[in-house]
Formats: sequence, structure tokens, C-alpha cells
Amino acid sequence: MKVLKITPERCTGCLRCEIACSYMQVGAFQPAKSVIRVSPFEGHTSYAPYTCTQCAEGWCMTACPVGAITINVAGAKDVLDDRCVGCKLCTVACPYGTMFYDPSTRKAFKCNLCGGDPACAHACPTAAIEYDEVPTADWLHDFARERASHVLVVNGGRR
Amino acid sequence: MPRRHLIIGGGTAGMNAMRTIREEEREASEITLVSAEKPYSRMVLPYYLDRSIAESHVFTASAALLAQWKVKTHVGRRATGLDVKTSVCTLDDGTRIEYDDCLVATGSSPVRAPVPGADGPNVHSFWTLDECRGVIASIKHGSHVVMVGAGFISFTILNSILALGAKLTIVELAPRILPRMVDDAGAKVVEDWLEAHGVTIRTNVKLTRIEGARGKKRLKFASGADLVCDVVIMATGIKTNLDWLKDAGVRINRGIVVDDHLRSSVPTVYAGGDVAEGRDLVSGEPAVHAIEPTAQEHGRVVAANMAGRDVAYKGSLIINIVEVCHLDAASFGAWDDARAEVISGVKRDRSAYRKLLFTGDRLTGAIIIGRSGDVWTTNDVGMLKGLVQTGVPLGRFKEYLKSHPFDVKTAYIAAGTAGTLLPETVLGRPSKAPGETPVAV
Repeated sequence: MKVLKITPERCTGCLRCEIACSYMQVGAFQPAKSVIRVSPFEGHTSYAPYTCTQCAEGWCMTACPVGAITINVAGAKDVLDDRCVGCKLCTVACPYGTMFYDPSTRKAFKCNLCGGDPACAHACPTAAIEYDEVPTADWLHDFARERASHVLVVNGGRR
Repeated sequence: MPRRHLIIGGGTAGMNAMRTIREEEREASEITLVSAEKPYSRMVLPYYLDRSIAESHVFTASAALLAQWKVKTHVGRRATGLDVKTSVCTLDDGTRIEYDDCLVATGSSPVRAPVPGADGPNVHSFWTLDECRGVIASIKHGSHVVMVGAGFISFTILNSILALGAKLTIVELAPRILPRMVDDAGAKVVEDWLEAHGVTIRTNVKLTRIEGARGKKRLKFASGADLVCDVVIMATGIKTNLDWLKDAGVRINRGIVVDDHLRSSVPTVYAGGDVAEGRDLVSGEPAVHAIEPTAQEHGRVVAANMAGRDVAYKGSLIINIVEVCHLDAASFGAWDDARAEVISGVKRDRSAYRKLLFTGDRLTGAIIIGRSGDVWTTNDVGMLKGLVQTGVPLGRFKEYLKSHPFDVKTAYIAAGTAGTLLPETVLGRPSKAPGETPVAV
């Protein structure tokens, strides 16, 4: 299956992925409605996008009490809006923090790989986000450990 | 290989078990379901209560689906006895069902405060679909509803009652709301929020009697003024449905005591969901977790073992989330562990609260409260669950989290939590989508 491969060292923090994602997901250019989220590291000198890994367990999918989360043609876990009642169990069951809830629609939403043509990967100007046939991985761990450690050392864990 | 599986209870554990048997088995087996009610999801009843979904939406298995799964059904029947020596289950209509192995997943029932008038007209429990229908029929726009008990069940229907245009008062015996879900400081944040949204709360009051009062209900308390209202909803706790099993020879403590394969003291009898006393993931101690995710995981693990696989269960994690008037409150794991190292933070102006509990350099419990519209609330809810679920060593990022309790993501990513989680599955294989369950050949 193709996954979103993240190379955090290439991310410039431009937020184009969030803009593209929110437009695909909810039809608005609104980073708050994006399901890929760019986080700052090292006091806003490094950035990395973070999104759903489409994990094997599918904690969101198995937790849903009404079968409102399924697997789409791209292999992504996808919310069926007409089944979702907005109970939020998926947001608390997902241990990656990548299930979102929209108070205006009272529905859960998440990365569905745009059905196989992810807008974030298209929008990324530096190929920090690629849509590739590779095993999914913890793309940010080493990057974050190093960059966040820098903050720890400089500020003694406080800022 | 057991050929005849009996599922007693058509709730979350039972439904997940039947589906998983069909997913796992190589050769077709017999599945028989005994369920007192047509299977539906209790989790979604609040959304039927305020009519945001149709009644048909609550059902989790149509007769057609059960037929497709080749399940023999005894719907509307209750199990009344289990003879574990001859492996026969007796139903309330006298039917006897022979089995090779069975799952006891008979769930819980609501308990009402033991006061005169508690069983009178316009006093409701909110647990079953029938009770939901009863509440729907009794609440009108402008009704005054009193909820007795300020626990999780009350809070799941609070939004719906307000959405119906009713006035709401909550009374609670304990000194604070949500006594089994959040701590004192968290309860205060939620209580202030609710009062700002027009809900009246009276804590520390002992209900002594409910009387009829010219078409209304009058509630009397050990101290303080009476309350007069139109509808009373009792949400004063639940008890496990195990009376029918108490002489069967299956070991019962607070629930049916099960091993790491969810087998009871009788190897052909499994238990799951509210009636099972299994391992708590965080403490490792036996516990009854009467929550939806535990029932779901129990049901699937039992089924994999019934289908001939050897699947051990690591234990269940206490997770609760409830939204009231667009404020989220969630808690995980050992959030009330008095021995843990605790850090908490509150942002009063945003009604946000965090409590993180550490054992060594691992997060073993958490409480998070924040506005549903705050983007980072939902991210952090999941990440805190991930940290508690994995128990990943935080190392020096523990200090970071302690000084930045509202910045969970940095510590979460830097500790490698996602990498720890990726290989983890409940059944040792990728999950299948709900609609993909094959019918065995």
C-alpha cells in the first residue's frame, strides 16, 4: 500500500500541506480543519508534518460502535459521514492523536489519503511529503528527539 | 476444535465476537446467539434521544446480517442457567442449547437509588433502547428534568436533554460531579462550565423520596429545599448481569474472573465486557472495566481463541470521554493513583485542565479537559492515550512534559511513541473493515 512518507529535514514550515488538506477535507483554506499538522521544533526553526499512519490495528475503526469507519480503495481508514454520530470514541481510542472532531458538523474526520491522490503530497514544494509504496514508519522520531533535545539543553526544559 | 460456539449477549462484546469468529475461522462453525434485545449500540442512544439520528441507526445487526453470518438467533430470550458439566445453556423459555464453548457477555443493568417513589411514573433509567423511548416520550420542550447522579451516563445525555429544550438540574450524592471520571480540580472546571451554560447542579445532597405532585414530581432530600420537576432520570450506577450464573460453578469475584485468554475458571466458558474481571493494562491487577472499548477488545480476543488461535490479551485501558456543551472531558488509565508523581495545569479563562500522572518515567494516567473547538484538545486526547497505552519510557522528556503539560506532542514524538505503537494490534494481524467480514466456506 502507498503511504505518506515524511522526510522532516525537508520541511520548510510553509503550511501548504495544511492549506491543501483542509481544502480537500472541508472545502475551506483553513489549517484548523487540516488532518495533517505541521509542528515547530527548536523554537520555530525546524518543522515537521504529522498525520495518520493508517496503522494496522485501526484503533479508530475497531472502536467505532456503529461501523462508521471503513477502509477505502487507497487502504486508508475513512469515516462514513452518514454513519458517524459524533460520539468521539475514535478520538480517544486513536493512540496517535490523529482523529479529529468538527464541532460544526458533529462528525469525526481524519486522513483518508484523499482516496488515493493525497493533496498534501502534491502541495509540498520540497518533497517533505511523498506518496510512496513503502512500509509505514515513525518518520519523525529521530528528527524530533534531536531537535527537541536542543530545546531541553538550551532552556533547561523551560521556556 | 470447538464446533459449536454460543454467544450469550448481543451487545458490543457479543457482536464483535461473532464477527471475529467468521473472520478467523478456516472451517465453518456453528454460532448461536442468545440476546435479550435485538442488538443495538448503547453508545449512540443519546443521539437518538435528541433525534439527530433515526431509531434504525442504533441497530448493530439486522436479521439479514446475522443470517449472512449464519448465526442461529434466540433474540428476546434470556439465559437462565449454565450447566458447565454437560455444556448446556437453558433459556427463559425452556430451550436448551448445547455448546462446545461459550462467551458470557450479558452486560450490566442500571440500579436506581433505593428511595420510595424511585419506581414511580415519569422516573426513568437511561440504559436500554426501551428506556430511551420512554425518556423521549416524556420530555417536551420546556420540561424541567432532574437527573439523579452526576456520573458518566448522565453526562452522555446532558447535551441531548438541553437540545430538546428542557431545563436541567443535576443532583449528586458525592461532593462533586463525575466522581469516577475526573479529579476534584477537573470537576470544578466542568461544573463552572455547566453552570455558565444554564445547568443547575446540586452536589452533596442525599435523595430521600420522590412523590407525585399534581402531575409533577417532587424530590425530597436529607437537607435542603425540595425540587419540583416534570421528569426524573436516575443514573445512579450499574450492576453486572450475573445473577443467573451464580450457581454455575464459574468463579465470580467482582465479575467473572478470567485469564489472559479471557477464559473463566471453566475452560469452555469465556467472559467479556462488563461481566468480565480481566487484567488492567496499566496496573496489571484484575479489574472490571464497564466501557465500550474493553467490551470490543474482549469480544475479539475471545473469538480468536474460540476459532482456534492462541491470542493472549495484554489488558484493557480505562478510557472515558464525554462532551458537555462543547467542553470535552477525558481520562485515561490510573488517573487517580495516589502513589503516582503528579503534575497539573489549569487555564481558567479557556476552561482547560490537564493532569498527568507518572510512575518512574512512564505516563500511567491522565485527565484532559478543554473546549471541543480548541484544535489541540483532540490531538492531545489521542496522544495522551498513546503515552499511557504504550507506557513508553519518556527519559528526559518527562521533565519537558512536566514543565509543558499543554505541549504533549513534542514529548510524544520525541519519545518514539508512534514507532512503539505501529507493530501493535489486538489480534496480531491487521484489522478488517466492518463491512468486510467473510462468511466461512
